[in-house]
Amino acid sequence: MMDAYTEAVVIRLGIAILLALGYWITAATGKFSFGHAAFMSIGAYTASILTVKFDWSLETSMLVSGLTAAVAGAFIGWIALRLTILYLAIITFAFAEIVKILLDSWDYAGGASGLFGMRGTTPQLLAICIGVVIVYLFFLTRSRKGLSYEAIREDEQAARACGLGVTRISVEAFAVSAAITGVAGALSAHETLIITPAQFGAPQSLLIILFVVLGGVQYFWGAIVGAVVLTMLPIWFDFLEEYYQITYGLLFVALMILRPQGIVGSGTERRFTMRALARLSPKRGKADGDG
Amino acid sequence: MADLQLRALDITKHFQGVAALAEVTLEVERGSIHGVVGPNGAGKTTLLNVMSGFLPPSRGVVELDGRDVTRLAPQKRVPLGLTRTFQNLRLFGGLTVRENVLLGQHSRARTGFLSLWPLRTAAEKELDRAAEHALEAFGLTEYRRRRAATLPYGLQKQLEIARAVSAKPRLLLMDEPAAGMTAKERLDLVPRIRALRDEGLTVVIVEHDMEVIGAVCDVVTVLNFGRKLVEGAPKVALASAEVRTAYLGT
Repeated sequence: MMDAYTEAVVIRLGIAILLALGYWITAATGKFSFGHAAFMSIGAYTASILTVKFDWSLETSMLVSGLTAAVAGAFIGWIALRLTILYLAIITFAFAEIVKILLDSWDYAGGASGLFGMRGTTPQLLAICIGVVIVYLFFLTRSRKGLSYEAIREDEQAARACGLGVTRISVEAFAVSAAITGVAGALSAHETLIITPAQFGAPQSLLIILFVVLGGVQYFWGAIVGAVVLTMLPIWFDFLEEYYQITYGLLFVALMILRPQGIVGSGTERRFTMRALARLSPKRGKADGDG
Repeated sequence: MADLQLRALDITKHFQGVAALAEVTLEVERGSIHGVVGPNGAGKTTLLNVMSGFLPPSRGVVELDGRDVTRLAPQKRVPLGLTRTFQNLRLFGGLTVRENVLLGQHSRARTGFLSLWPLRTAAEKELDRAAEHALEAFGLTEYRRRRAATLPYGLQKQLEIARAVSAKPRLLLMDEPAAGMTAKERLDLVPRIRALRDEGLTVVIVEHDMEVIGAVCDVVTVLNFGRKLVEGAPKVALASAEVRTAYLGT
């Protein structure tokens, strides 16, 4: 049996892993969302309302929250994914802020003071969710579907020339990513036992991005490594007290200089690296030069 | 009545008021190799982009096998049998040579969520075999596991053609396939294009290299300043006074 502290750490770790794996799916198509906390909050609130106000089981509520987040993801993806990476960043960020403001003013869900009354979750349930996602990713990365994700990330025009429906595939990946993030949000709400809109702001979105960027996006298990490291660092560096933030920041800078491809990854140009984030420039136009 | 596979009728394309193409009509006969030539800025690539769906025309109609495809996205033209290569190579450089060819088969393959199921159907095994054949036909088998970006330029050109052909198109649009090739590679390209035609493919080829054009094309259309200058058999069209004036200014 785990003691309460260890169990809390394990659950927190599991939620971080689930968030990282969910984000990895959209990152695999080269689409960076800067508002994934919105899908987390949609999942968290959907599940919490269902368990607290309607007395549903966490398992069923969790599935519904995944579905709700997927619908929201498909909607926002359909609007934003046809745009350049810069506009995608702006729209996803704005979407997260709008969701936060709406939750703040939604009295039924507790408004700014939050929603409580959840009954907790278990490491076993989390382990099952992570297991399902890992199996999915294992087969995805060995399939033609996974290959089409990589192709879109590499060159959208060439992907179109090969017959790939770039928008449809990207939206689909985004929706699956949002669904997993929504489930992670549901489990997170049942771990913290109280949720407020403030928990799902820009810092949470950034943390999810960092899991994946730090771990490396070449392989999906890089995202797991990133999530573990970023969740455990505050615990490992606890003894540094007020110097913790500085050390944490310096470590991050050093890592990005020494291993821009993340902790896991070969550093070849295959699949993508931090450089993808640097490509935040509008680029859309003619298929080719004229001759 | 000629059996036309592709018709681009009265295509006009403006870029910020400047006409890159002005009422150009191109009729491509099934099973032919149709060359499009012209000096720099003549509008050759623009025409190819319009025909492949990468650019919408300002005016005009594109028909593929009698069907109006003018507003159809490029990826939706692929299942109808139209693929293309690019003037500046657009390979998936970070992916392997084999993966590039597999992506060329996208419109023929199962790519839904069911495709994640690890057991391969007979059709999927057949596609895998077709990919291996394509690699072999283009001399790429030994490089199949290498990242496309690491191949020499000539082989990258071959790979782009192999990828386009893997969609099993009926019409292939090639944008300057000989550009950047060595003399020997250019020499190898001619029988390669002829072989594609012999396999039943119609080819439209935009090219600067007149030797290649003269050697492979059945018909040549010469463009200049976005207008059609001459059309006909290569020897006749390329020798005409208008073409000499356009190219040499004399």
